[in-house]
Amino acid sequence: MIIDSFSSFHPIVNFTYFSAVLLFSMFFMHPVFLGISLVSAFVYSVMLKGKKAVKFNILYMMPLLLFMAILNPAFNHQGVTILFYLKSGNPITLESILFGVASACMFVTVILWFSCYNAVMTSDKFIYLFGRIIPGLSLILSMVLRFVPRYTAQIKVISNAQKCVGRDVTQGNVIAKARNGIKILSIMTTWALENAIETGDSMRARGYGLPKRTSFSIFRFDNRDKVTFAVMAGLIVIVLIGAVMGENTMRFFPSIKTINTTIFSLVVYTAYFILCMLPVIINIMEEIKWKYIVSRI
Amino acid sequence: MEVYSIKNLSFSYPQQSKYALNDINLTINSGEFVTICGKSGCGKTTLLRHLKTILTPHGKRKGEICFYGQPLEEVDHRTQASKIGYVLQSPDNQIVTDKVWHELAFGLESLGYDNSTIRLRVAEMASFFGIQTWFHKNVTELSGGQKQLLNLASIMAMQPSVLILDEPTSQLDPIAAMDFMEIVKKINRELGITIILTEHRLEEIIPMSDRIIVMDEGSIIADDTPQKVGEMLSAMEHPMSVAMTTPMQIYARVENNLPCPVTVKDGRKWIDTLLGGKVIKKEHKLMQHPSTSKNVVIQLKDVWFKYEKNLPDVIKSLSMEVKEGQFYCIVGGNGTGKTTALSIISGLYRPYRGKVLVNGKNIANMSIKERYRNNLGVLPQNPQALFVKKTVELDLYEMLSDTKLTKEEKAKKVKEVAEFAELDGLLHMHPYDLSGGEQQRAAIAKVLLLEPKILLLDEPTKGIDGYFKEKLASLFKNLTSKGVTIVMVSHDIEFCAKYADVCAMFFDGSIITSNPTKEFFAENSFYTTAANRMVRHICPDAVTIEDVIELCQRNSQQKMA
Amino acid sequence: MSEKQPAKNGISKRTLLATILILFIIPVTILFGVFVLNDRKYYFISLLIIIYTMIPFVMVFENRKPKARELIVIAVLSAIAVAGRGAFFMLPQFKPVVAIVIITGVCFGAESGFLVGAVTGFVSNFFFGQGPWTPWQMFCFGIIGFIAGILYKKGFLKKTKLSLCVFGGLATFFIYGGIINIASMLIFTSQFSWKALLATYISGFWFDMVHAIATVFFLYTISQPMIEKLERIKIKYGLIETEDEAVSL
Repeated sequence: MIIDSFSSFHPIVNFTYFSAVLLFSMFFMHPVFLGISLVSAFVYSVMLKGKKAVKFNILYMMPLLLFMAILNPAFNHQGVTILFYLKSGNPITLESILFGVASACMFVTVILWFSCYNAVMTSDKFIYLFGRIIPGLSLILSMVLRFVPRYTAQIKVISNAQKCVGRDVTQGNVIAKARNGIKILSIMTTWALENAIETGDSMRARGYGLPKRTSFSIFRFDNRDKVTFAVMAGLIVIVLIGAVMGENTMRFFPSIKTINTTIFSLVVYTAYFILCMLPVIINIMEEIKWKYIVSRI
Repeated sequence: MEVYSIKNLSFSYPQQSKYALNDINLTINSGEFVTICGKSGCGKTTLLRHLKTILTPHGKRKGEICFYGQPLEEVDHRTQASKIGYVLQSPDNQIVTDKVWHELAFGLESLGYDNSTIRLRVAEMASFFGIQTWFHKNVTELSGGQKQLLNLASIMAMQPSVLILDEPTSQLDPIAAMDFMEIVKKINRELGITIILTEHRLEEIIPMSDRIIVMDEGSIIADDTPQKVGEMLSAMEHPMSVAMTTPMQIYARVENNLPCPVTVKDGRKWIDTLLGGKVIKKEHKLMQHPSTSKNVVIQLKDVWFKYEKNLPDVIKSLSMEVKEGQFYCIVGGNGTGKTTALSIISGLYRPYRGKVLVNGKNIANMSIKERYRNNLGVLPQNPQALFVKKTVELDLYEMLSDTKLTKEEKAKKVKEVAEFAELDGLLHMHPYDLSGGEQQRAAIAKVLLLEPKILLLDEPTKGIDGYFKEKLASLFKNLTSKGVTIVMVSHDIEFCAKYADVCAMFFDGSIITSNPTKEFFAENSFYTTAANRMVRHICPDAVTIEDVIELCQRNSQQKMA
Repeated sequence: MSEKQPAKNGISKRTLLATILILFIIPVTILFGVFVLNDRKYYFISLLIIIYTMIPFVMVFENRKPKARELIVIAVLSAIAVAGRGAFFMLPQFKPVVAIVIITGVCFGAESGFLVGAVTGFVSNFFFGQGPWTPWQMFCFGIIGFIAGILYKKGFLKKTKLSLCVFGGLATFFIYGGIINIASMLIFTSQFSWKALLATYISGFWFDMVHAIATVFFLYTISQPMIEKLERIKIKYGLIETEDEAVSL
């Protein structure tokens, strides 16, 4: 596992990257684009989470991929290359199978990208991004994120206290469990509401509600962020031009058809590859740089 | 320069005829360290809340409050928000956001500073308070003391000229409380910021203060330097003298004409003068050893425990014995595993090695009913974890909801327990409207309805004033005299010294020593009561204030005779 | 009355925004989708519409400069809803979220209901993982809270157990189940067909049923004490009404 230096970039860089790869991954059904995205997402998720990601990808994502690939032809009977007929009389076509495989790949890719997103775009980055546009709601988000772990801990305290007066949530039938759960939730609610009043006092005592509130952040848009952002923007533009030119379109029904591969297609493919692999490339570069510096010392 | 001048301030809450504040006249000068003390409900919090308009409670008000010569209500909110810093009681409740750095910046964001100004101020505060190492953390990862420090820092970032603290250390353990107060002192001494503070635990705070204001029933009854206040309270024979430091309390109850001592150091000098430098090496009082014939009710045999397989051991080879009717106190530093030990006795956690026997039976083999009906009663650290209903009475009945008693029997039981815990006037109130001490008693009453033979308590005196502590203590004494065994975990050395039968020192996952209380504290030289520290050079066996007073009275009489 | 002013403004502003969205932006999105996006049009058109519908709420809320205690109420209730899943760890699929959102809508009005729902949907995914389903969940929870608030204001919904349970059960099954099933179909297959939709509904039936039953159960057991608690808070601390320049939600 490599330490992910892409996470240390400015939230805007992180967010733009994920928005772009997620959107592109959801749109492009072309096998080359699908492949690039799937491989990049896989590599990055392994880089971020190590062995756990490999296990997760193989244990959950592979069966899901297969299941979805099979599911599609069962509902979709379009296409001209009929392979065989089901008992119900519906045909199974090659196109629908391939479409199933493609959309399954797409789905798995999106899930993988989101797993990377969850690891990189921590809540404070999100709150920073939206702190200026929606200050009220992003403050609420920050507060909820503060309260949830606190309430979860309190649930544990209450549940232990209840256990010690002879009411155990983990024992008894479903109704008894549910009843005890309700009691815990109820105690927690009162506790949360009553204690939150002091939180409100503390906010007002520190001037919340005065006009012209600003939004502070510890993130700085450094030079490396500028460079990365420019490169990323360039790549996105190339991919978008490619999209407009139809480089990424793929027709499945009635018969499979893609645009012919030209030099321009290769340029677009490369741009897309670099874009998707950007965090991986950055991480590897940092690693090499570090080793180089260390070796010089 | 007068920071605050309060003239003839009276206040009463809506629908209440009694005055919460009664004709308060007070001037607070710039740079002063003022401590306001008084029983719970004496009006000190109400007074503090009047010092910042946005926190002022609703109700009927007369009189005038001026802030730097200007009526407070005319001082705009922006100035008040920044110039009047207000730290509240609970470390947890005050924190609004999820990140330490964001919390530090919260007030500055409200004031509308730009990013670079905030960055500078936050950096300054983080350095002054030593927050750098946990600057990037989530607030959930902080300890109670760190949280309260963060609250203070986030207010100091707004550069207040006066700092108001409402019982800021009542939820902290003694070490964290001391650290916090040291910082407050530093703020006062080094930055010249005016401090106005209320607190119950005053042992360390009074010596720091320039001025003590004592309140009772909404009025100010004393307002002077600590020494003078000690002398005044002594002359008045006022019950509030129990809230003062140990030397001041002793002074108040021993006849003498000397100046009032404030610190332990002063106290040593005072007692030397009083007793003419006499050394009483042996105090010929027999130590009461509890009779050995009594049954052992709790027995731990070589108990080992850790929370998770890969985590270090929390409890290491812990063995202990508690006898029937004993009041057994476990004292010791933070994070040594005291609370965990209590949870193991209660059967909440299971040791991975060793046995816990309650009345000779292994707790692991008992059903939930067997464990907690007429057997073990556990009072959680925060009594609020037990309250379910909207009145205290309903809450007490709730406890009996799954028993087969008839209505009359239930009513009888509730009535008895309410009388026992002195809840009579409070039965129709919402549990959350009670004061800390009252909540504690209501929670105990709830637990007592299960008729426990053993009561396990986790820091029951936390955040409670001296008056309620005494009530609690008499409650415990009543229970032990009925044969109930009490095991208590506490930081409150003074309380343990005064009331416990046996004290045990917990360190690094097990009990180092356990002894009858007097012997226990007489043997310790540092981890002991203030009274003991004051007289250990002449009589190491005097542990409580009462002991010292008795010692003084006997010996000064002898001198006279 | 100065107290009523903001509320009126709020509704009219929201209506205005909604009108612009419905008459202009949504048709443009649909046209764009139909002509530009081929395979993914259904998913993206629906996703964008979902997001559009949330914008007016957010804008109105932000423009109003909410008071500290309003933020607290929304944050506390959302956090309870998220953490509440923890109290029922031993019963899978048994979640109190919809019930809490409905109670909020009834006690604090449609806007708060919507916000608590949406914030809960969003934040719970910080703990369970964000995914393409996040906006849909936010929308579903939010809209249920919103409808509860509106119906209560109009007098169709009462604070009684029966009324809340009937509404909760129906809303969970038809609104939440109805929308989430469409979403999961679009996420999965990216193609729209009635047959596939029917299949999704059938396969999701028991899931939705359990969810609806859970909501009814929660509303039956916690609605009354919860409403009591919220009313107590409102009165004891003058939560919303007596705040200096009160803003009625």
